[in-house]
Amino acid sequence: MEEKLVCRDIMKQYGKVKVLEDIDLELEKGKIYGLIGRNGAGKTTLLSILSAQNPATAGSVTLNGEPVWENREALSHICFSREINPLRDNGKGLKVKDYLRAAAIYMPGWDAEMAKRLMEKFGLDIRKPVMKLSKGMLSMITIIIALASKADYTFLDEPVAGLDVVVREQFYRILLEEFAESGRTFVVSTHIIEEAADLFEEVIMIDKGKMLLKENAQELVERAIYISGKEDAVDVAIAGLHCLHTEKMGRSKGATLLLEKGQSIKASEEITVQPVSLQRLFVSMCGEEN
Amino acid sequence: MQEILTQEKSIYLQISELLENDILRDILLEEERVPSTNELAKLYVINPATAAKGINILVEQGILYKKRGIGMFVATGAKAAIKKRRKEEFFDNYVKTLLVEAESLGISKEELIGMLQNTMK
Repeated sequence: MEEKLVCRDIMKQYGKVKVLEDIDLELEKGKIYGLIGRNGAGKTTLLSILSAQNPATAGSVTLNGEPVWENREALSHICFSREINPLRDNGKGLKVKDYLRAAAIYMPGWDAEMAKRLMEKFGLDIRKPVMKLSKGMLSMITIIIALASKADYTFLDEPVAGLDVVVREQFYRILLEEFAESGRTFVVSTHIIEEAADLFEEVIMIDKGKMLLKENAQELVERAIYISGKEDAVDVAIAGLHCLHTEKMGRSKGATLLLEKGQSIKASEEITVQPVSLQRLFVSMCGEEN
Repeated sequence: MQEILTQEKSIYLQISELLENDILRDILLEEERVPSTNELAKLYVINPATAAKGINILVEQGILYKKRGIGMFVATGAKAAIKKRRKEEFFDNYVKTLLVEAESLGISKEELIGMLQNTMK
């Protein structure tokens, strides 16, 4: 049996509102996935369902063929390190070390040595009350819990929120180092797409509760191009191609395209062809104006 | 190995190019080990699979070769091979773009040849 975490036909409904629909996803071992979507797209809900912290209304989640729901063995391989909210999580009197101790109890593979090393690296004090931590420091704790869990499937939800650029860069390197050494699977959701894009082997894009795509990040970016020039020349060039977004100003027109395999557009004196970053592609696909 | 990656081009192509540049500049010598996939991944903060893809392009071209259990090495003759290939690509990458730009500016053939001759003197 191939090792993977699979979800089939996941639907999640709160009251009458469907927050996730038709989600089919296979997460293979030894890959870093980027999970991107706008606020409220359903990223956190999806991660909580994959880690059985939240039941799906319909559909199944299996790890190596076994359902994960209330399955202690399967869940010992999955860690979803959620954003810490000291007020909500009854964390009023808790100190950092209490959080780490709780994580150590839940995760059988807990690496206390690694947690300690990362605490020092981030300059965190384990005696500090969680209430007194800044947003960035809370993010550091969720990162430490995720990495030290040593879980085969580790989900990080907005791990870099509130972190300054130096610590963000530090985190990306630590993640890559751990990934290279362990071959664990990581799913990282982020809004800072531009910086994290090159970390991902595959990108999972969701919008309004539906999955837009799951594709190798490099291949996806290679398929995306932006062409611009005089309107009629651009119209001729993009005829019959998959156009995600266009913009016009005066006689000029720009179009963001997602090419299929084998399609290509050559630059000429009439039109300019430029690459499109993952972030720009995301805006073209999930932006309001569409 | 200290070039900066840009968003303008596929990352794996940039990885293979910067390794080639280092070979051309004698920063990496023939029969010398090149940085591993993980070393490149960490240096450039990119996914190791992407770094591997860049290295594999050079393996396919015979620029690098694999020594089992040790790593990737620069092949003998790599430098000459890179130069030869880049010369072949020179027309597409530079001459063609030059001609497109010249045409959109209405620069005549004679003018263009004149410019080249004057600069190369």
